[in-house]
Amino acid sequence: MKNPRAAVMTMEGTNNEMEAYLSLIHAGANAEIVHIKKFENSEKKLGDYDLLFLPGGFSAGDYIRAGAIMAARIKAKLIRDIESFVDDGRLVMGPCNGFQILIELGLLPNTEGKWETEAALAQNISNRFEARTIYVKVNNNKCVFLKKFREGEILKLPIAHMEGRFITRDERVLNEILTRRMNVLSYVNREGKESGYPWNPNGSMMNIAGLCNEKGNVLGLMPHPERVFYKVTESDWTRNGTGEGMGYRFFLSAVEHMKEKF
Amino acid sequence: MGTEFLETVEILNSGVKELNKISKNYNLGLSTEEMLRIKSYFSSQGRNPTDVELQAIGQAWSEHCGYKSSKVYLKKFIFGIAPNKILSQGDAGLVDFNDDIAIALKMESHNHPSAIEPYGGAATGVGGILRDVLSMGGQPIAVTDVLYFGERSKKGFPSPKFIESGVISGIRDYGNRVGIPTVSGGIFYSNDFVPNVLVNVGCVGVVKKSNIMKASVDKPGLKLIIAGGKTGRDGIHGVNMASKTLEKGEEDTTTVQLGNPIIKEPLIHAVLEANERKLIYALKDLGGGGLSSVIGEMLLSGGMGGDIYLEMVPLKESNMKPWEIWISESQERMMLAVKEENINEVMDIFNSWDITASIIGHSRSGKDLRIYYNGQKVLDMDLEFLTSSPLYYRSYRHIKQPKESFLPSYPKDIERIMLKMVGNINVRTREYAVRQYDHTVRGSTVIGPFSGNVGSEGPTDASIIRPSWDRSEGIAISHGSNPFYSKIDPFRGAKAAVDEAVRNIVSSGAKPIAFSDCLNAGNPEIPEIMGEFISMLSGLRDSASSLEIPYVSGNVSFYNQTGKSRIPTLPTILAVGKIDRIEKALTPDFKNFGNPVYMIGLPYVEMGGSLYSRILKFNDNNVPNSEPTILKSRITKFLKAFDDDLILSSHDISDGGLAVALAEMTIGSGIGVDVDISSFGMRSDMFLFSESQSRFVIEGRKGSEERIREIFGNDAFIIGYTSESFKGINGEENLFNIELERIRKKWKEGYI
Repeated sequence: MKNPRAAVMTMEGTNNEMEAYLSLIHAGANAEIVHIKKFENSEKKLGDYDLLFLPGGFSAGDYIRAGAIMAARIKAKLIRDIESFVDDGRLVMGPCNGFQILIELGLLPNTEGKWETEAALAQNISNRFEARTIYVKVNNNKCVFLKKFREGEILKLPIAHMEGRFITRDERVLNEILTRRMNVLSYVNREGKESGYPWNPNGSMMNIAGLCNEKGNVLGLMPHPERVFYKVTESDWTRNGTGEGMGYRFFLSAVEHMKEKF
Repeated sequence: MGTEFLETVEILNSGVKELNKISKNYNLGLSTEEMLRIKSYFSSQGRNPTDVELQAIGQAWSEHCGYKSSKVYLKKFIFGIAPNKILSQGDAGLVDFNDDIAIALKMESHNHPSAIEPYGGAATGVGGILRDVLSMGGQPIAVTDVLYFGERSKKGFPSPKFIESGVISGIRDYGNRVGIPTVSGGIFYSNDFVPNVLVNVGCVGVVKKSNIMKASVDKPGLKLIIAGGKTGRDGIHGVNMASKTLEKGEEDTTTVQLGNPIIKEPLIHAVLEANERKLIYALKDLGGGGLSSVIGEMLLSGGMGGDIYLEMVPLKESNMKPWEIWISESQERMMLAVKEENINEVMDIFNSWDITASIIGHSRSGKDLRIYYNGQKVLDMDLEFLTSSPLYYRSYRHIKQPKESFLPSYPKDIERIMLKMVGNINVRTREYAVRQYDHTVRGSTVIGPFSGNVGSEGPTDASIIRPSWDRSEGIAISHGSNPFYSKIDPFRGAKAAVDEAVRNIVSSGAKPIAFSDCLNAGNPEIPEIMGEFISMLSGLRDSASSLEIPYVSGNVSFYNQTGKSRIPTLPTILAVGKIDRIEKALTPDFKNFGNPVYMIGLPYVEMGGSLYSRILKFNDNNVPNSEPTILKSRITKFLKAFDDDLILSSHDISDGGLAVALAEMTIGSGIGVDVDISSFGMRSDMFLFSESQSRFVIEGRKGSEERIREIFGNDAFIIGYTSESFKGINGEENLFNIELERIRKKWKEGYI
């Protein structure tokens, strides 16, 4: 069985590609970092990969709206490829800026199957960039990236963003998300209870920290699993010992799934 | 005289008065003596200079570029320490790390621009320091910043709050966007920094040993390529502004550059890719002085001459004059010297990253630099004369002050003082700033600025970055400085700065291996200030030479002065260390109940500049005296105990002494300590609040008592055991008994 192929797509301003790349490699994927240009000029083909990773950062500076420019660039040339990539059951993961791009593109939550922008990640309620460790609860492990977690399990992950407050276009979208259990990760406090700031670090509706499409193959989330592949980069590891970190299981889930499927 | 874009300046027939006027009108910042030197050079050439030539000299001979007041003293005091441990020196310094990589480090000030335009000044400070590491062929892995703000407003200058918020936002927006974690630093508050704020920015990077770059162009026929941002009118005369005092109403914001991290981020990738493919012959960043400095220094150090064609420089504004193009300090630019046969490949790399790059000239045999603009020669000068700034033995005077201490009577309320200390503006949490900086990007931050239980973290001593995910070694990064000590006693202040930086590294379990020194002072033409500067240098020398740790890079910022108000003469020391196994790294948060807590090193009554003296407002000029030989032996013992796995937690003793160190160890852990100090026979307040140097608190493993005694001899003292409470007694006397939650709240001061 060959190792699944993963592309970490970058443009100027994306800056989490290295930890994403290393996480994929360490989980057993055959990963490469690919500039969006190479997809645009067909030097590389999306169809040659099993997983697309949209890393965090500040694509194009995020001077307009987080993720807007990269999303516009993808829409202009690559949207059909990505839609069929998703329809094919291949995997897409986007933490932080990647989540913002997925929302902007309409890949998430995509409640009507129309690939429209139905939600936004707005400025944090604290009006500040927030870099801290938070807890999230796994609400639904049908998502391919969450297979190795139990439902109800509490995960500890780092966040680092200015625009992470999840809001939907209207109540219908929010209701759809909840009914279909697409809100796979929600912010909780140390005791695992839903709670206000700073446990919900950005003021997201319904404490939503991560969304997965119904099919289970597109995950967008504000936290950064790729930064805690090993415990030694978790913020409290000196109290808890070493070994594989919380991020490890996201990538292992994805890689094992790809190995089975492709 | 001249054309619309070029002026010839009449100096051959100018007297002293006119020469001074020329220096002022052209914003050259040159003294009469220097202008006369220029006049004599051009007399020997039999012609008057162009404005391009004068401006080029103004850059190269500025204090900022030429180090003309400091160089002779830097050489004398700190350049020769442990030279065999320095791998290479350039825009940043390099030390050996392991068989594969070297560490690049540099700390630099961005004080003057930040005082005028805090947001842009601080942001470009980060940009500049990243380029310094990149210039060595290094991948930046961490940004650090030590900031010194005022508290009180001064009429005619921006308010300290405005400056602070601008500086923090500038660091945040640049550092976060460029994707290098900001992991370490410090913030000090004192009215000595009104209106002269200090922004000292550091960067640590890693370079594959086979890819170390140099800056010298020592071959003819190399093409000179400018890559990255376009050249504009931002940042003209920045170095000249940084080479004089800051006076009311003289702030010229056009001297501050504008940064663009979204060009920098791919620029770093592109340069590192070209370097990895061995396509770059020499490399240097464009910082202060712009093209003028970079080309002059690259050619001069390689003994080459060169020809430059200014119309080839990509511009932001089309109507720039040649002298403006030549000295602009626009950001995000790198200069590469590339062999003819590699040009196409290099240009392809820049193109693939969407980075503008242009060949603007070449090296050739000779000792002169010629610059052309659309076919017309605009500069033709001897490089040695142009680039080598005059050096001065500035006169200096040491002011002898007898050591005087006016100690307070014994206080009745130790507990209240302790809480005041924990909540003091110079002690309490820096999360309001630091949590705006991304410190986990790149996924390699093993120890960040905070540690302990999630949601109630406490401070750490050093940060640790893992340079490779496949190896277990870590790079420890920390700082040291104390403006309160340095104000009273620049010599002891400097030693304490080194001591603190080293303590922080060691406290995390790492071995210190290199320093970068960022030196800040007032006007060097004042002999008392120069005297302080020299005292500081001798302190830096004494400490580092005893430790045998080199200063591999550094920077001097003078003229941090406005009228009579000026900053203390102080260094910020950036230290790096090596830890072989990151999974052994230590943090200050206590780990478990019932463990022995040791104080390493006894306190002395030397309260000068201490937090205690500042809180009780008593005068004492007896600043804690770091004794380098003691520091050295404690490091060795500490690391031995660490290697023997005896230490669970460690914190260095600094501001607020033992009392604050212990309190801080409870914050991230929710574990307290019960302390009895009766066996020491010292006044309790002095014992608890003394900031005597080279000391640590460690939480040992259960049963470690005997081994600790063997290793430390009579230098380690059990002062108590970790517990659920936080209590201190001196025999019969209850000193403090504070709920852990109260300490945490005090330290957090409203931050959640």
